[in-house]
Amino acid sequence: MKLIKIDYYLDWPKSLEIENLRKYIIDNISKKGIIIRWSIVDIHDSVEANKCKKIRINAVLANQIIS
Amino acid sequence: MIISPTIFIVPTGVGCEIGGFAGDSLPAAKLLASASGCLITHPNVMNGGSLTEKHKDIFYVEGYSLDRFAKGEIGLRTVKKQKLGIIFDSDINQELLIRHLQVADACVATLGIDVDSYIVTKKPLGIVIDRDSKNTNGGLIENPDTLIEAGKKLIEKGITAIAIVAKFPDDLDFDDTNSYRQGKGVDPIAGVEAIISHLVSKFLRVPCAHAPALSPIELSEKLDPRAASEEIGYTFLPSVLIGLSKAPDIIEFPIKNKSNTLHPNQVDSIVVPNGALGGECVLAGIERNLNIIAVKNENVMNVTSKNLNCPNIIEVNNYFEAAGVILSIREGISLKSIKRPLNKIQKINF
Repeated sequence: MKLIKIDYYLDWPKSLEIENLRKYIIDNISKKGIIIRWSIVDIHDSVEANKCKKIRINAVLANQIIS
Repeated sequence: MIISPTIFIVPTGVGCEIGGFAGDSLPAAKLLASASGCLITHPNVMNGGSLTEKHKDIFYVEGYSLDRFAKGEIGLRTVKKQKLGIIFDSDINQELLIRHLQVADACVATLGIDVDSYIVTKKPLGIVIDRDSKNTNGGLIENPDTLIEAGKKLIEKGITAIAIVAKFPDDLDFDDTNSYRQGKGVDPIAGVEAIISHLVSKFLRVPCAHAPALSPIELSEKLDPRAASEEIGYTFLPSVLIGLSKAPDIIEFPIKNKSNTLHPNQVDSIVVPNGALGGECVLAGIERNLNIIAVKNENVMNVTSKNLNCPNIIEVNNYFEAAGVILSIREGISLKSIKRPLNKIQKINF
C-alpha cells in the first residue's frame, strides 16, 4: 500500500443540496483511490458565481487509481 | 435527567485557538460533558502529553471511528477496561524506547491500566512532514503496511486497543516548532498523527490513538501555556494510554447485544469550531439533521456556516454558550424562547 496526498478543487453545483454534498465528494474522491482521510478546507464562489461554488478538498488516499 | 449525547470535534492540525495545542480543549470537553451527560470526542481533544483526565461521561474515540459513528455505521460500547498493546516504530532509538516502556510500566503500576504487551514494526514507518502544506498541516508515512502488520499481530495476541508511537524526524522545521510552542502556529506534526491513527482504525477496527516520539528539545522560556503539557517528561504516551484504557469498543452493525451501547441515532448535537465545518463528521451530521453548534474558535480553515449556506447551523461565541445550547436541548427548552426578539407563532394555512 502506498499513500498519497491530494489537494484539488471541485465544483459544487447550485442544484446539489448540502445534505447530498458528502456523498458527492466521496464519489469523486473514491475515483482517485481508497480514502483514508479527507476534508473540505476552503469554499468560495466560482467565477460563474450563479452556477456553482468551488470547494477545495484535501485528502489522503491509499493506492492511487490512475485514471 | 435524560442525557443528550453530543459529539465534540476540534480538528487536528488546523491551528484552532482553543484545542490546537496540547490537550487545551480538555476543559471545554469537561464543560460540554457536564452539559450533555454524554460527550463523544477524539484523542486530539483529550491528549495533553503527560496530562489528561478520565471522565465517566466522555467517550474517547479515534477520529476515523468517530466519523463512522457520526455516519451511523457503528455503535460504541462502554467497557470496564481495554487490554492495551503498543506499536513502536522501529526507527525509535533504544534510549527513547526505554523511556516509553517505563511510561507503560508506570501506567500499570500507578494507575492500574492493563498495558499488556508491545511490538516493534519490521520496517520504520517513514514519517515525512509535508512542508508545502503547513497551513493545514500535512505529511505522509512511507510504510503503512508495516504498521498494519504490527497491529494485526497484537490483535492476534488478544489486544483490544492499540497505542501507536511513531518516530518523527529530528530535523522538524525549527521555526515551525518554536512558533507552535509560542502559541502562534499550527502543530507541525498533527496531520501525520491523524493519518497513522486513521489507518489503524480503518484496517483493524479497534480503539487506537497515537503518541509521537520526539527527541528532547531545548527549554523555551517563551512557551505558551497551551503547549506546556507537552513539555512534561520524555514522552507523550501517558495521555494516550489513559484515554485508551476505557475507550469504548467499536461495534459493527447489526448490533446483536445492545446493552451498554451508544447508538448513533441517540446523538443530538455536534460541537465544532466555526470555519472547520468541512469534515465528514459534520457533513454527516447535517445529513442526519443533528444540531450543528459552530463555536467561534479561530483556525486556518475557511468552511463556515455562511459559505456552506446552511442556515440551520447554530452559531455561538464560545464554549460557555455551546454548553448552554446543549443544556437547553437536553432539557427540551426551545432555543428561540431564550433569544430576543421573540416572534409570534406562525399560522399555517390549508
